[in-house]
Amino acid sequence: MTTRRHALRTFGAVALGTGVLGTVGACGSGSDASGGTADGPVTLVLSNSQWLDALRGEKLWAAVKKFEDSHPDITLEQEAIASADYTSKITTEMGAGQGPDIVIAQEALFYQLADAGLLVEVDDEVTDGVELNTTADNGVLDDVRYGIAWQRAVYAMIYDKTLVDRAGAAVPTTVEELIASAQGVQAATGAVGFTGRHLIADFSGWMMDFQNWAYGHGVEWVDADGELTIDTPEAAAAFAAFKSVYDAAVMPIGDDMPTQRNRFKEGQVGFSIDNSGGTLNIGNGGALQAAELYSAPLPFQNPGAHQQIYLGISTHSEHAAAANTFLTWLLSEEGQQSLRLASGPDALATDVPVDPDFAAANPWAPTFADLAANSRSTLIPGYEASTDQIMRPVMEALERVLVSGADPATELAVAQSEVDALNLS
Amino acid sequence: MTTTVAPPQAPATRRPPRRRHRGGGAVPYLFIFPPLAFLTVFMFGPLVQQVWISFTNTRLLNPTGGRFVGLENYVRLFTGDALIHSLWVTVSYTAGTVVFGVGIGLVAALAITRPFRGRAVVRGVLLFGWAVPNVAASLIWLWMFNENSGILNRVLSWFGVDAVPWLTSTTWAPVSILLVTVWQVAPFVMLVLLAALQSVPEEVREAARVDGADALSVYRVVTLPHIMPTLRLVSVLMAVWTIRRFEIIYLLTGGGPLDSTSTLVVSLRQTAFEDRDLGGAGAYGVVGLVLALVIAAVQLVLERRAQKGSDA
Repeated sequence: MTTRRHALRTFGAVALGTGVLGTVGACGSGSDASGGTADGPVTLVLSNSQWLDALRGEKLWAAVKKFEDSHPDITLEQEAIASADYTSKITTEMGAGQGPDIVIAQEALFYQLADAGLLVEVDDEVTDGVELNTTADNGVLDDVRYGIAWQRAVYAMIYDKTLVDRAGAAVPTTVEELIASAQGVQAATGAVGFTGRHLIADFSGWMMDFQNWAYGHGVEWVDADGELTIDTPEAAAAFAAFKSVYDAAVMPIGDDMPTQRNRFKEGQVGFSIDNSGGTLNIGNGGALQAAELYSAPLPFQNPGAHQQIYLGISTHSEHAAAANTFLTWLLSEEGQQSLRLASGPDALATDVPVDPDFAAANPWAPTFADLAANSRSTLIPGYEASTDQIMRPVMEALERVLVSGADPATELAVAQSEVDALNLS
Repeated sequence: MTTTVAPPQAPATRRPPRRRHRGGGAVPYLFIFPPLAFLTVFMFGPLVQQVWISFTNTRLLNPTGGRFVGLENYVRLFTGDALIHSLWVTVSYTAGTVVFGVGIGLVAALAITRPFRGRAVVRGVLLFGWAVPNVAASLIWLWMFNENSGILNRVLSWFGVDAVPWLTSTTWAPVSILLVTVWQVAPFVMLVLLAALQSVPEEVREAARVDGADALSVYRVVTLPHIMPTLRLVSVLMAVWTIRRFEIIYLLTGGGPLDSTSTLVVSLRQTAFEDRDLGGAGAYGVVGLVLALVIAAVQLVLERRAQKGSDA
């Protein structure tokens, strides 16, 4: 009897203990995130993964904090979320009616939030009289402006000139040359030849980086009729090119992006493909001097991609007016100049030239500015809010090609059928 | 005259008067209330909500806008390959953890149950894996497993062995995850079994030895039956905890490569926070709950059977 009771107790305890699996339901409810009130000083919360970047985060925050000099009633407060967790945390917070007043997000997330009705329309006064450049285009959804550009970070190939010179390696212009040069650096210096994202665990980062390989090989992802075309010879060529580098024993397989960038920062990597924001990070605060960090066009036939970050105002913000005031300031000459000094060569919402002193001290910067002329968004035209959904089967197909040596064309056909099943066209 | 002799009466056993619990009867409820409230808010409530969500098409970006869709999420789950794969990964990972975790924990407990010089130090070293927080341990192991610069591959290279893709091959990643998990759980098993071993009556062991039993026989006939209930309980605990284990897998492989380490909980996270499908994630959670309850039920049946056997 005692045993039966004991066993039943065990069973009950297990049932309760397993209830932790039910975390999905525990999303919580809304509360005032800002702490400000309508008739007193206001606190605006700005979320951004960049706040956590070494050095750059501090500089960016100092740049936006200058806003408070001319607006003493509004205090800015940061919500810093690690890049890898940013999308899931922001969607959870905002879905649950919480979150920041102003969300600073990659355009894929920005689109999803706008599409879900979690961002409010930006006041016309914010952009009145401002000469916005092409970065503004993707801030509009269904003819309504939901955001303005924070930064546009173009991709290029970067290299450690000291290591490349020591190895006597050439700056590559094709994938074959990239492999040869990376192997040369590795053999002559013992450093890693090449780094690039390659882990599905870092899906959104890898997806954006891979668009360079795809665009570089002529991939469009949609045809002239707007139909999704995943299974194409161009995409198969992009898969095969990535696989050839993956198999060349020049990449540290398994390293996540922070590790790869830290290796580069410490002078342990020959080549990489990265955006200007990442490169700015690499060139600051490590053993590698910015003057030894160089860049070149991507080793592909066609132009590559850019990451773009937008600012949007949350539907849940109780301080939308103050948030619009902040956006107005950010687009002013003072705001753009302040942001420019912390943004390296990234394109901003208006055409503010790169600081000449910065350009002189960072030989890698001008190439990024040149590549910005032809770079493309990582989002699929016409499917901006669904790009993540479409690209997941694609990246899973690429993972199968890399890890189990599957045939690119076969795996792309599988991805095509999975994308078709989404019924997005 | 007849005399009747009254049969001897058993001495009247006076029952102690029943105490009526008046007044002070509220005290136990007062003690029970805080944990009950805690469980209601943080366990029962979310559990009920999760089960409800699993029958809706709730999305992460609109958690209150879900519509009842009946068994749609379950049909999708059971007609696709993902759930079967996740279940297979979960069951094999759980079985591996229970077998190796309990096995190594038992051997370690037997090794240090008797006093010897330096036992405290050995026990401290053996407990290390359990004492280190999961996240810290996972990050340390992540570096040790690094294919290029990790200590494990460096050591192997001294012996001329090629680098092992610890976390990036579908063969090695599950093994690596299991290795870290066993390293973490075995000390706990050791502690629990050590307590059970120290409660085995020494005189019974001594009697067995006097009867000519060797060490193995003493273990088989005396020690093992004595610690068996604890062994069963710790096994079921290991199984249930392993089904729920998340951070080690998430931090080391994120469920990859090619979903080779994607257990139910990892799939649940991906469905909820990457696919933003809370309804589908809720269904994954319910499947996990049922799996854990099945394991507990099996343990219950085994326990009852063992009890019947010992009664007979």
